[in-house]
Order: sequence, then structure tokens, then C-alpha cells
Amino acid sequence: MKIPGAADRIDDATFEQILEMDDDEEERDFSKSIVYDFFTQAESTFGKMDSNLQAKDLKTLSELGHFLKGSSATLGLTKVKDECEKIQHYGQKKDATGTKDLSSDDALSSLQTAIDQAKKEFKDVEKVLKRFYHDDSSPTRHQFCTPNQEIPHHDSIHLLPH
Amino acid sequence: MDASQAGSSNSSDFVRKLYKMLENQTDENVVRWGNEGDSFVVLENEKFTKHILPKHFKHSNFASFVRQLNKYDFHKVRHNNEENGQSPYGPGAWEFKHPDFKMNNKDALDNIRRKAPAPRKANQQTDDLMVPTQQMDLVNGQLVATQTQLQQLQQRYDELSIHHSMLLQEVIGLQKTVVNHEHVMQNVMSFLHTVDAQQRRASRVAIPFGQQGGQVQNGNVETQPAQATPLEDDIPASPLQHASKLLSETNADVMLNPRNLEHMNEITMRMNGTLTTPPPEFMRGRPASRGGGPPSATSSTSMRMGDLDNLVYPVGTNQGIDPMYSEHINNIPYPLPTKPAEPVAESRFQETRKKSTQVDPGWVRPPQILLVEDDPTCRRIGSKFLYAFHCQIDSALDGLEAVNKMNAGSKYDLVLMDIIMPNLDGVSACHLIRQFDNTPIIAMTSNIRSDDISMYFQHGMNDVLPKPFTKEGLLQMLEKHLAHLKKPVAQMDGMIAPQPLATTRQVLKEEESPAKSPATASNWNSPNQVPGISPVSNVTDEYMQQVQGHPGAYAVNPIQGGIAYNTSPQMQMQARQQAAAGHRRQISDISGGDEMNNVAKRQQMYNGPMQPAPLNPMQPRPR
Repeated sequence: MKIPGAADRIDDATFEQILEMDDDEEERDFSKSIVYDFFTQAESTFGKMDSNLQAKDLKTLSELGHFLKGSSATLGLTKVKDECEKIQHYGQKKDATGTKDLSSDDALSSLQTAIDQAKKEFKDVEKVLKRFYHDDSSPTRHQFCTPNQEIPHHDSIHLLPH
Repeated sequence: MDASQAGSSNSSDFVRKLYKMLENQTDENVVRWGNEGDSFVVLENEKFTKHILPKHFKHSNFASFVRQLNKYDFHKVRHNNEENGQSPYGPGAWEFKHPDFKMNNKDALDNIRRKAPAPRKANQQTDDLMVPTQQMDLVNGQLVATQTQLQQLQQRYDELSIHHSMLLQEVIGLQKTVVNHEHVMQNVMSFLHTVDAQQRRASRVAIPFGQQGGQVQNGNVETQPAQATPLEDDIPASPLQHASKLLSETNADVMLNPRNLEHMNEITMRMNGTLTTPPPEFMRGRPASRGGGPPSATSSTSMRMGDLDNLVYPVGTNQGIDPMYSEHINNIPYPLPTKPAEPVAESRFQETRKKSTQVDPGWVRPPQILLVEDDPTCRRIGSKFLYAFHCQIDSALDGLEAVNKMNAGSKYDLVLMDIIMPNLDGVSACHLIRQFDNTPIIAMTSNIRSDDISMYFQHGMNDVLPKPFTKEGLLQMLEKHLAHLKKPVAQMDGMIAPQPLATTRQVLKEEESPAKSPATASNWNSPNQVPGISPVSNVTDEYMQQVQGHPGAYAVNPIQGGIAYNTSPQMQMQARQQAAAGHRRQISDISGGDEMNNVAKRQQMYNGPMQPAPLNPMQPRPR
């Protein structure tokens, strides 16, 4: 089954095997609860990332990146996973592929970018998934943004052709 | 605010508010002074953000609070020096420190100033000049901490060296056992060759195979032993009996947890500089390392870990099946069931798997699986899959919990272990568990560079399941490592080959890569390794017959023959080699065709040894 609007954001094979575990293809209780728990988990992880970015705690940031990478990969949320992998590497003061060393400052600025991008990818895929689960409630607010560094609101960006 | 204003007029608003917040002890369980009074601790992040921040700072944004602190040169206190890297205030606590922010010292607050907004790089230098004493204190504290850390490491190192030397003694004993095994295997081989040659001669004389039916089986039972004895010149103990005696003598030694000793040996060897790079054969070289065939590896000193591993028990314990019996069945120099049979068995299986989400792999009893995973999403999906495969699941949230559960006596058939977890990582957990338990442990991880993987094996992992795992991959792991729990069904829906056989073959086929199939094929230089086109039924008959031909010596019935075939070390070894070699392919399969990503990963893997391993056993592991 293809998720409408997912494009390359979701890896079909991975996500499908989770959908297969649903007992009822209308209700989709199992996969829905997994996905929605992931939303919560992601929001809270992004919140922690923001705090630790302020505290310049690179090690914790890398751990947070790894943590979210695992769950997003398990759900097949490819783009979120890729950004999280970058966060993991930057936190170790490595470049995006984990090969070259970075200075602390470069790592921090890369982290800022990658975290913002990860949030954006998350918001995008969240929207797609909520539509898939017939949930029309507005996307969750950006609770994790600091007042001065509010990331751009994606509500205005129409990435989805439908 | 009025109280603090009376005290001083110089200190900043933010700092005074902060101090005032801490004076108010009603929220002590959320935020309070640190135990020494020279820091403050946010114990409950969420409550603090929701209730305390709005009260004192008119916003509810923790990140912004931390940023403010940062501006005033407060620092988050990390607890790397403590035993487990945990804050004494609990895992979720945030502790902040400023040299002039102390309980009962309101005057010092005046010294806390907003840092001058300077460019980031210059920042540190100006600070250096402005507050040299502060920096000195900080550096001093760090030095002391590092020294203690070093001391602890030194102690630990000494302790470990003693262990190593003790263990190495045992390794030497073990290697002798391995050499014995080598001789045994050679004996078995040569004997089987003679038997084989003889049988071929016999069957040439007799009617061609296809038409024999039950008649031949009877004939074989009687004629085979009778012919075998004269050919061996009436040696009182035939090579086989001799071998089995040797085997049963050495068996006990092998059961003494050989795996741990191998790791020790490996690590020591590495420390001595004998082995400078991680053995690459875990990724691809495995078949090559045994290219000369088993008999060539007789010298114990020249043996590397990979060889030991392959030649003795490739997968943990022998799972209650006497290797003597499984071994010889595999050694029988008949070709394995060949291609024509494959598509049938395979498509059948995939069909059944696709059709229903509830796959029953046919367990004798539900396998007990321990799932060790800190990420709730992965844990839930993993559990769900396992449940669908009719397994009973217990879960642990980190390595520590897993070790405790197993140490407390919980018995599992298989452990699925995440690698990077808080409190205790999967590799360390596995290492600890191996001190007292041999349950198969499978690493579930996305870190699958070759040096990572060889490290997992060194610490006693039995296999690697790349993350994110697929249902198929998981099921294959279960079937591979829990083959002894499969129902010994000889036929299913009129299928001729026993079910376990078909399953294993499917694994083999899927993992097969052209690079190593020649090596696998040349394992046993059997005289009649016909590039067989024999259909499955024929082959099955052939080896069943062989089994029946020696009722005394082998004492296996046809059904057990099927099982033994499936669980024989040789078979598992191949499967494992191929699984190991197949990982690279699996990554690309799984990560959804993101080509750029794969290329990068692949390069990482080839360059593996040149990069610092993220989980190097000699370094403190990242949590």
C-alpha cells in the first residue's frame, strides 16, 4: 500500500510491514498507536535537543540523534532518519557522513541546521501520516522552539500536491 | 524581588530571580540547591518548565532558560567521573553551576554578569583574561577528576591483565582440544571416504538408484557393515569409533564456555600486536580463510579466531545435539539438494508468509525471547513481530536490566540485544552475560561496519540483525538459532524434504553471493561431488540411506537425521558466514534504496579499520 503524499519520505516496505500487523485495516489500532507514540517521542526529543543545543552539550545531542534515528528508521521515515544520523555525527564532532572531524563551533552550527531540518522533515511526514490515519486535527505546535529562534512555520509550505 | 533588591543593586535581574526562586523551598522536589550549595539542580524538567518558570520568569520555555543561564556563564554539570556517568540527582536532572552562585552568599551574585556579546571564537579568550582564577579552578577540578579516572582505569587494567593471563592458560588447553577435533574430523573424513567409495562400488554393481525403492535399504543395512569390516583390515577400533571416543573425551572441555576464552585470546593477541587489524573475514573473507579446507588448520598457533570459530562450534552451544552425529551427516560427500528443488520450497514459504501476518514457524513450544531495547518504537514493533511468530516475549529497557534478568535465573531461548542503550550498552551486557550464560544473543544495530561486527562477535554475540530489521530477517534469525525448537516434521503437505531443511536452504539461497559459493562448494572434496541434478527426493533418500546403513555407529533415525542436518555446526557455520557476508547487501536492501547513503556507508565499511571504532572495547563506551 502506498501512503498518499509520502513520496520519498517514507520507506514503503518498512512501513508496510508495520501496517501488516494491524488486525483491522480500517481502525489500524496497532500501527496508529505506534506512529502517534512516535510523534510524542519525537516532540519530546526535539525539545531536549533544543535545550542541549543551548547548553552546547554535544555528547547528549549525539545520543538524542541516535535515539530518534532508531525509531524513525524502524518506521521507515527515511528523511527524518537521515537528519538524525547527521545530528548523531555532528554531536561527535564529525561531518555528516561521520568521516571527517569538525571543530566544536562548526559542529554546533551544523547541529542547529540539522535539528531544524529534522523538525521540518518530521512536520512534513507527520502531516502525511495524520492524513493517512484520517486525523484532521491541526499539527502539534512547535513547543520546542525558543522564542528567538523560532523555526519557520511549515504550515504555509505546500509540499503536498494533493 | 524586593528582598533581593535590598541585598544588592548591582546584580542582574535574572540572577536575582534565580536566587529568589531557590530561596523558595516549597518547590524543593522540582528545583533546589545542589548538595554542596554551589550549584542548583532542576530535578523535574517538565514540572519546572510548566509551573516554576512561568512563576519566576514569565515564560515556559526550558531551552530559553538554559540559554539565559548560558549567557550568564552558568555551566551544565556533567557527571562523567562517577561510576556510571549518572547524576547523583537522578538521570533526568539538570545541574548548573557558576562559581559565584552559591547558597548563602548573596553578595557574590554581583559578580555574575552577562557575558559580553563577542564573536564566538574570541569569546573564550576574553573570558580567560577576565577571570583567570575561575578558569584555573575549573581546570584544576578537571585535572583532579581526570586523575581519579586514570587511577580507576589503571586498577581495572591490572585486574584485567591478571584475568587475561589466567584465561590464556585455559585457551591453550582449548586449542589442544581443537587440534584433537581436527584429527577426529580427519579420521571421520577418511573413513567416510572409504565407506563412500565402497558404497558407490556397491551401487554400481546393484541396480541403479532410481529403481531401488525399499529393497535397497534392506540390502544396505545388511551388506554395508559386513563389507566395511574386512576393508578396514579388522582393526579393533575403526577410525570412526576411535574418533567418537576422542570426541566424547574432549567434549567436556569444549563445553567450558569456549567463547569467552576466545575473546580474551583475541584481545590479548591484539594488544600484543599480533593482530593489528580487526579480522575482516567477518564481512567477507570467511570462506577464504578456510580456503585450504579444514585439515590444513592443524597447528594451534597459526589458528586465528575465525578458524577456531568455524571449526569447533560456530554458534554458541551445540544445543544438546551431539556434534558427532550431526557432523558426519553433513560430511557425507553427496551433493546438497540442488537448484531444481529450490523454487518450489521457496515460493511455498514466501506465500505462506505473505498470506497471513500470523506466521507459525512450527515450534515445539513457544520460544522465550528476551528483547533488549531502549527505544519504545523499536521495542513495540519488535515485540509485535515476535508475537506474530508465536514467541513469548520478555523485554528489558537496557543492558543492565537484561543482565539482571538473566542473572536472576530467567531462562530464554534467544536474546535480541540493541547495542547503544543507556546505563549499559549491549556489547558490555553481552560480555557480562557470557560470564554465566550461553543463550544465543543477537545484536540488533545500525552500526554494522566490519570492525563493529567483529567486535560484537568477540564479545560473545552470536549474530547480527541489522536495523531497522525486517519481519523476514527476524524470522530467519529465529529459525536459524532456534532450529532445535522446530517441530521435527518430516513432511508437510506432501513435501518430500523435511521442513527444517527447506527453511535452511532458503536462508542459504537468499544470502548466497557468487563470490563465496565456490569456496562453499569446495569444502568437502568428495570423490563423487557430481554437479548434481538430482531432485530433492533422491538426495534425501541417499543420505537417509547412509544413516540407516550404520545403525550401530550412528543410531539416528531418519527424522532425527533431518534435524541434525539442519542444526549441524557445519550447516550453521555456512549460514552464518553467509549471513555475515550478506550484511552489506542487507543494508542496501533495508535502507530503502537511498543510493547516496549506501555508497557512503559502504565506503565507511571498507575504510573501517582506518577510523576510530565508536565502540572500541578499550575506550569508555558511548551510552
